[in-house]
Amino acid sequence: MKRSGLIFLALLFLAFPFLALAEENYTFDLSEIEKKPYQFSGYVEARPVLYGLDTDAAFYKLRFYDDSHRQTLGEANGRVRLEGSYEKSILRIFARLNTDLQYNDHTNGSEKTTFYEAYASTKPLTSVKIDVGKKTLKWGKGYAWNPVAFADRPKDPDDPEQAMEGYVIATADFIRSFGGPLKTLSFTPVLFPVYEHINSDFGNTNHLNIAGRLYFLFYDTDIDLLFMAGGSRPNRYGFDFSRNLTTNFEIHGEYAWTTNHRKTVMDPAGAARQVEDEAHSFLVGLRYLTSFDLTTIMEFYHNSAGFSRDEMKNFYSLISSGFNAYQTSGDLTGLGRAMQLAESGYARSSAMRNYLYVRLIQKEPFGILYFSPSLTCMINMDDLSASIIPELLYTGITNLELRLRAGFITGAGDSEFGEKQNDYRIELRIGYYF
Amino acid sequence: MFKIINFVLALAIALPVYAFAVDGTNLLKEVDRNLSPESYESYRKLINIEPNGKKKEFTLFTVKKGTDKVASVFLAPASEKGRSTLRLGDNMWLNIPNVGKPIRITSMQSVVGGVFNNADIMQLDYNAEYNVAKVEEKSSEYLLYLKAKTKSVAYDQLKIWVDKKKKLPTKIECLTEANMLIKTLYFKEVKDFGGGIVRPAVTETDSPLYKGYKSVMIMAKVKKRTFKDEIFTLTFMPNLESLR
Repeated sequence: MKRSGLIFLALLFLAFPFLALAEENYTFDLSEIEKKPYQFSGYVEARPVLYGLDTDAAFYKLRFYDDSHRQTLGEANGRVRLEGSYEKSILRIFARLNTDLQYNDHTNGSEKTTFYEAYASTKPLTSVKIDVGKKTLKWGKGYAWNPVAFADRPKDPDDPEQAMEGYVIATADFIRSFGGPLKTLSFTPVLFPVYEHINSDFGNTNHLNIAGRLYFLFYDTDIDLLFMAGGSRPNRYGFDFSRNLTTNFEIHGEYAWTTNHRKTVMDPAGAARQVEDEAHSFLVGLRYLTSFDLTTIMEFYHNSAGFSRDEMKNFYSLISSGFNAYQTSGDLTGLGRAMQLAESGYARSSAMRNYLYVRLIQKEPFGILYFSPSLTCMINMDDLSASIIPELLYTGITNLELRLRAGFITGAGDSEFGEKQNDYRIELRIGYYF
Repeated sequence: MFKIINFVLALAIALPVYAFAVDGTNLLKEVDRNLSPESYESYRKLINIEPNGKKKEFTLFTVKKGTDKVASVFLAPASEKGRSTLRLGDNMWLNIPNVGKPIRITSMQSVVGGVFNNADIMQLDYNAEYNVAKVEEKSSEYLLYLKAKTKSVAYDQLKIWVDKKKKLPTKIECLTEANMLIKTLYFKEVKDFGGGIVRPAVTETDSPLYKGYKSVMIMAKVKKRTFKDEIFTLTFMPNLESLR
């Protein structure tokens, strides 16, 4: 007993220095935080997608009218995004260049390289910043939709966290902080030129539009008042808000009013005509986090300028009759008209009037760090068709993002999601940041 | 006359006791000031360590002003670079450069994953969020029992072990209203950062909710600096790195 005790003590004594060393020493290399005037970073992504096609759907007929027995479509997508900046004193220049590559055996390959952003900034005072160049403004509080994002391209509710291309603008931020219930006030005026070679895809050319945002943090609520006017698009005015009701419960909303909104609609006889009316759109939403780390994002979106159920049915009928005409006689007139109408608005995302968006994200279930499964459901409340997207995201390897995503469609014929070209899609997104 | 003598005697007996009783609120304020100046900048490295030893590191630049304003920007890794967070009292936002606009986040979420949540990363002065309910004096430490001032605070109760000499925390237990332990913070490696700032350089945390996982926060280049209020606004969030 004594001997074994001595051996134990001797072993403990011998082991003690190693035990003491086992206490981890953490290091923080200060060269990691040295600031350089220039910075360079990037992102590369590979995204193979398999589409399961719905051969009866209207958008299938519109796209695959000349290949109408195709059941699936495989697609390889790639993306390279490069960012660089240079900063000296109060001046900074920044550029983000995006290249998208796509290959499928229907349309073959395509490549598109665009400066998403490229602008120069100056910050003469802490409270004043001026930017000139191509930039995204990202106005609004909504997650899936932003009816008040007057000076941005529309977000894709299917993938709302993707980087977007901006417009060429001149803008400034003026900020003031206060004590009391009004903590922050900021004003962001925007000059938005639309001419033949600048922002020509935004609207009517040869106009210098103006826009602005007045932001308040008032009684712990973010409030924005926004407008845009100038002739390229009808004038529009709006507001948004966001507030945390409790530490785990946030609410937000947006409202936009557009004067003289114009859209092209089809009547039952198949004739297209332009209608003009004022448009109201709004969004109300919430984010809620449970004690077991389930985040719920829920939003309801209404757009009075969206297409009615009957207007969409007329459009689907046009595709159907055009497709039949092509099948029987090779006549492309009907499908050609349908393609024009699709481009004018019928094919855009969230083209109808009322939508419900629900996204559930479970953070790190079963103790698996950096793993977040989610389920997203977008329901067209006018025809009760829906898109359901389950997703698995893993970010446990530094700078690598792995996302496995599927998409399923439910909905009857003549419904928005029921007439999409796919029944399902499966995609794997492998992204690497550097 | 007897009454006066009794009163003087009672006062004489009580005075030493009163003089040596610990004022918990002042002690907590002292701990806050020893942990950081009221306004300062710092660099932090957060390390999440998994049970198998695998690590993920994040580097942040942080600025703080007064009792209720904190802002941080991520410098590394590349996947997080440019993300910024802002806290104004109970309000917290996260700005992701690609996504664009700042979104409201909650104190119990975590922008980095792991055991540290947003309230830990954007820590305000303890005395701004908590009242001292009780102080216990031990041989080399004080034990402060804190109760949250409002329901919007991330942890309803804290137990802080304070080194008597250095007036710095050595350990903090974070508890729910029902006394359930959420996590424990261990303060280690007291270091002189210069400018009179002497504080623990390393904070380790573990949690019974994340068995086997550990997160570590290492401080560097902590220094006093004054900032304008306009820096702590949503509009300024994308420009935080320009303060470096």
